[in-house]
Amino acid sequence: MIRLKNICFNYNSRQVLDNIHFRVNLGDRIGLVGPNGSGKTTLCRIIMGLLTPDGGEVEIFGQIRRKENDFAAIRGRIGFLFQDPDDQLFCPTVLEDVAFGPLNQGKSPDEAKRIVQATLARLNLTGFEERFTHKLSGGEKRLVSLATVLSMEPEMLILDEPTTGLDEQTIETLVHLLNSTNLTYIIVSHDKEFLERTTNKTFSICGGEIACS
Amino acid sequence: MHISEGVLAAPVLLVGAALGLAGTAVGLKKLDYDRIPQVALLAAASFVASFIHVPIGPASVHLVLNGILGVMLGWVAFPAILISLFPQAIMFQFGGLTVLGVTTCNMALPAVLGYYAFSAGIRSPKPFVSGLCSFLCGFVAILLSSLAVAGCLVLTGGSFWAGAKMIVLAHIPVMFIEGFITLGCVRFLKKVKPEMLEVVYARP
Amino acid sequence: MKLEEFATGNSFIHHLDPRGKVVAAAFFSGLVSLTQSLTAALAALVLPVILVALARLDFKRLMTRLAVVNGFILFTWFFIPFTFPGRVIYSIGPLDIHWEGVLYACLLTVKSNAIILALIALLGTSPVLDVVHALSHLGVPDKLVHLFFFCFRYLHTIREEYHKLSEALKVRSFRPGTNLHTYRTYAYLVGMLLVRSFHRSQRILEALKCRGFSGRFYILHHYQMKRRDYLFTSCGLVLPCLLVFIL
Ligand SMILES: Nc1ncnc2c1ncn2[C@@H]1O[C@H](COP(=O)(O)OP(=O)(O)OP(=O)(O)O)[C@@H](O)[C@H]1O
Ligand SMILES: [Mg+2]
Repeated sequence: MIRLKNICFNYNSRQVLDNIHFRVNLGDRIGLVGPNGSGKTTLCRIIMGLLTPDGGEVEIFGQIRRKENDFAAIRGRIGFLFQDPDDQLFCPTVLEDVAFGPLNQGKSPDEAKRIVQATLARLNLTGFEERFTHKLSGGEKRLVSLATVLSMEPEMLILDEPTTGLDEQTIETLVHLLNSTNLTYIIVSHDKEFLERTTNKTFSICGGEIACS
Repeated sequence: MHISEGVLAAPVLLVGAALGLAGTAVGLKKLDYDRIPQVALLAAASFVASFIHVPIGPASVHLVLNGILGVMLGWVAFPAILISLFPQAIMFQFGGLTVLGVTTCNMALPAVLGYYAFSAGIRSPKPFVSGLCSFLCGFVAILLSSLAVAGCLVLTGGSFWAGAKMIVLAHIPVMFIEGFITLGCVRFLKKVKPEMLEVVYARP
Repeated sequence: MKLEEFATGNSFIHHLDPRGKVVAAAFFSGLVSLTQSLTAALAALVLPVILVALARLDFKRLMTRLAVVNGFILFTWFFIPFTFPGRVIYSIGPLDIHWEGVLYACLLTVKSNAIILALIALLGTSPVLDVVHALSHLGVPDKLVHLFFFCFRYLHTIREEYHKLSEALKVRSFRPGTNLHTYRTYAYLVGMLLVRSFHRSQRILEALKCRGFSGRFYILHHYQMKRRDYLFTSCGLVLPCLLVFIL
């Protein structure tokens, strides 16, 4: 589904990714690990077309993507969970935030509301519709941002540190949710046990290089 | 910098509203959709920062920061300042709806003037030129804003002379503080995030 | 910073359509700010007082708010009675207090408080975002509404960031004083806030793009003007006119 070839990236001449090759096939459940600052988030943002690599090729769903418009087409199909949920939740209420994606995809308000309800139920968040996003706890914010991603019914997920700040019970819900879907996904995490339970392949980034382990 | 409701004369309010409307229209026209989050968050940040009380002798003054906002945003400073005044107007009633236009002009016009006068100097690679221009930018913005507030009062009636003079005098220390803060702030941005001063927020 | 202090409540004023309230509030403040007669201003003051009573706002909080926003009015009392030309009624040393000056200061005070009370009773009783939503229906341009919307959403987040930064200053025993070190520190604090907001705004834009944003927000809650809203708004337009023009 995704193929990165010879990707190089640097922030203001500081090399972060150095000639990286990376491949995701249909049905892969990939864990992405690496020390802090090694470029995991950067890699995810390159896949989503939020950063333009300095060199190399990004191929997604069988097509080479270069320009903003190429990526706009795939963003509804790949759900990206940001590392900081505050960046993702910008609507006043949970209902509006979760409905935002479906509405952009052209769903009617009624349909969108139905999707919101179903998504919230999957994450044990029923009754959160009218809560204010900025007043949620850290863990609740993360779950709601996951709901905003799932409500767009993506074919693939990229989750950047989804377990930070979640309690055991909620992590359990998440593990169950991930194991019960047959979505392809990439999970960035420092939580070894969580990755063992949810993924079947691990890549690690270190010193600008990526390796399958 | 806020004048209460019900104080200013009708012509002053009307001219203020008309100028505010025109400035905001120009600013919005120059603002691309893609820049909306950036401008909104800079406005929010300067609003939050305006709650910082900086001590001066036994008293303290709060920051205004319209100078630095103007240098970054140019004409977009009009809508940015308007939206940061709006919650104050409707929630705190510090200068409500009728004076919104006047207050926006009093703060945004000096910001835009500062943009034309100092933005090239501030972006200069020479530390002395850049430093001097940043200081002046903060200083002059407050000077002009307080003069504008005083002018609105004097135009309302001659009996406001004494009050208008007091307002300008009281803002002299604020001018110096804003000058220093703007200077430090520009130095910080140049070091930490130089792109922020180079981004073009407003379409030419 | 207490936003939306009066927005929660269950009175009938709280439930009115914000569009009607915005129209009535704007009309009332415009009209009152134009009047030059003390009797008319006093008569106009009656309306917001009734509204505040109907909205059943917390009296103590209301008074605190009025005390804060009357600072400027208090300031005018220090010079208007002396500088406004007119009949001398009392002298303190070299300063003469003029009767007309006192009347004028009274006029400003009454006008100002009438408008403030009306705004609290009408706009303060709806959540800010509802008021903005109403404004967008009343023809305020989309870009401005979106700007406001993002600004308001992240006000809390940025304020928390500011608190964290100032706590970080405190735990490193920073004591503000009148010196360059203080000003430099505050400048860095402001700079840091700006940089963080800038970073955050870039990530927000990315989040928008990831979710297929095309420059348009969809609104899920819709207000409806009911009979009582039309009635209320018409009263809001007619009553102040009667009071101000007859007196
Ligand atoms: N906007 C930016 N400007 C400059 N440098 C950046 C920026 N974002 C990230 N970096 C740098 O790029 C490197 C990789 O960052 P990235 O966020 O991808 O790390 P990460 O692997 O996700 O780390 P973590 O585990 O802490 O989330 C870091 O050294 C960071 O300092
Ligand atoms: Mg990361």
